[in-house]
Amino acid sequence: MTNPKQNNEQLSASFRDPSGFLFSRDGVLYRQVNRRYEQEYARLMESGLYDRLVKAGLLIPHVEVDQAPAESDLSHKVIQPEHVPFISYPYEWSFSQLKDAALATLAIQRRSLKVGMSLKDASAYNMQFVRGKATLIDTLSFETYKEGQPWVAYRQFCQHFLAPLALMALRDIRLNQLLRVYIDGIPLDLASGLLPSKTRFNFGLLTHIHLHAGAQKRYSGMEVKSRAATMSKQAMTGLIDSLDSTVRKLEWKPGGTEWGNYYDITNYSDSAFEHKKQLVQEWSAKVKPSLVWDLGANRGVFSRMAGEHGAFVVSSDIDPTAVEQNYRQMKAEKTENLLPLLLDLTNPSPSIGWANEERDSFGRRGPADILLALALIHHLAISNNVPLLQIADFFAKLGKWLVIEFVPKADSQVQKLLASREDIFPDYTREGFETAFQRRFRIVEAVNVRESERALYLMERL
Amino acid sequence: MHFTPLPYLDPGSGSFLIQLLIAALLGIGVAVRASWSRIKGWFGIKSEPKADDEDDEPEAK
Repeated sequence: MTNPKQNNEQLSASFRDPSGFLFSRDGVLYRQVNRRYEQEYARLMESGLYDRLVKAGLLIPHVEVDQAPAESDLSHKVIQPEHVPFISYPYEWSFSQLKDAALATLAIQRRSLKVGMSLKDASAYNMQFVRGKATLIDTLSFETYKEGQPWVAYRQFCQHFLAPLALMALRDIRLNQLLRVYIDGIPLDLASGLLPSKTRFNFGLLTHIHLHAGAQKRYSGMEVKSRAATMSKQAMTGLIDSLDSTVRKLEWKPGGTEWGNYYDITNYSDSAFEHKKQLVQEWSAKVKPSLVWDLGANRGVFSRMAGEHGAFVVSSDIDPTAVEQNYRQMKAEKTENLLPLLLDLTNPSPSIGWANEERDSFGRRGPADILLALALIHHLAISNNVPLLQIADFFAKLGKWLVIEFVPKADSQVQKLLASREDIFPDYTREGFETAFQRRFRIVEAVNVRESERALYLMERL
Repeated sequence: MHFTPLPYLDPGSGSFLIQLLIAALLGIGVAVRASWSRIKGWFGIKSEPKADDEDDEPEAK
């Protein structure tokens, strides 16, 4: 047993459900299971549901540990869930990532019903990508199912999953960003208003979004008489099947965005590309990171190089097409240590939610052991006018090591950025770059990329 | 409402009512499908084996 006076910190995102909560102690994450959840927890573990879900990669594995609870008067047990290397949020996922998280949620609900349990919430924030698969990380999301009882998480499922997926597939892929504003999912009246009117001819979207939104408006705040409020198990099965087929039918074909064909249109020779790959491999092997953040990763070619020795790589890009293609490729190849992530570095995910602490900003989820910033700096320094020193400052906050590519003004990609504007960047030179970055980093190696005017640097934070 | 214990999240009255309505409809569908395959069974027609969702790949193709 540990000393109960030790530093326990209840996680700020873990306050809604009275069944228990997460706390960290000495850098390890634990979940306290409260006494009021004792029966449900026992049922989850003893019915075989836990084993089956864990085996299918649908639920995070945990072990029961002999740790002092953080709040002992409420506590039944303390469990230690498997460590998730990087927590990501639905507004940072590509279309298929959100779709897979939705389908996994429904698969869990189906299997739960078979043993007389049901999900009591269907929050997209409870799903995380673990070993490449959408996985439920909240062990306390299950309740005993009583025949007749409707699905309490129906509203949440529609707001967190169905509405954003339909908007992304049928209106505009960028509408997943609404999830950043509406932390409990997209309000259905908003989704209903934004969806094309032809979606009223789709039975699933008509009922689960349009009619659902209308009913919410009409019956808001009214008490439901209990006698009428029963639903057979058959009806429950029908509902889950219908949500499943509605989600499955939503498709989005990546293409038509800025960076989708990036690798096909760069001005690199094959030899320069290979040289870059080789340097990333070499330096990753040298630093031996466990967490890599590849910024501006596009489809993740270099992310895969950096992950070759088992590091977990967050492969982020601003372009939904690139992130989607990256995700599809990692799924096809069954890559387990990669997380494609949609992120605009000029406006990275902020801390949001209650007290601005429920969902961490991108920066707070670090630092990474090593950052990759390849073919990126000109976009930040020139397209976005960020002074080089401020870029160095930001990168020093995000990572301990840095692999960064300097793209000089003579490069045709930079010329393109400057073609229609005044060159107000006298310091954007190799010397200016080194001077700025040396205030935050030590340059360990600097190599000219073969057959190119670009240079690659390995730097360590001061 | 009809829950014991009450849910910790508000399921929303409208969401609740529409769910009952939709699910009742869909439940009939489930029942018809089930009896249809039984009727076909009487005539010796085997229905396609429905994939058990234990083996289902929950992810999008």
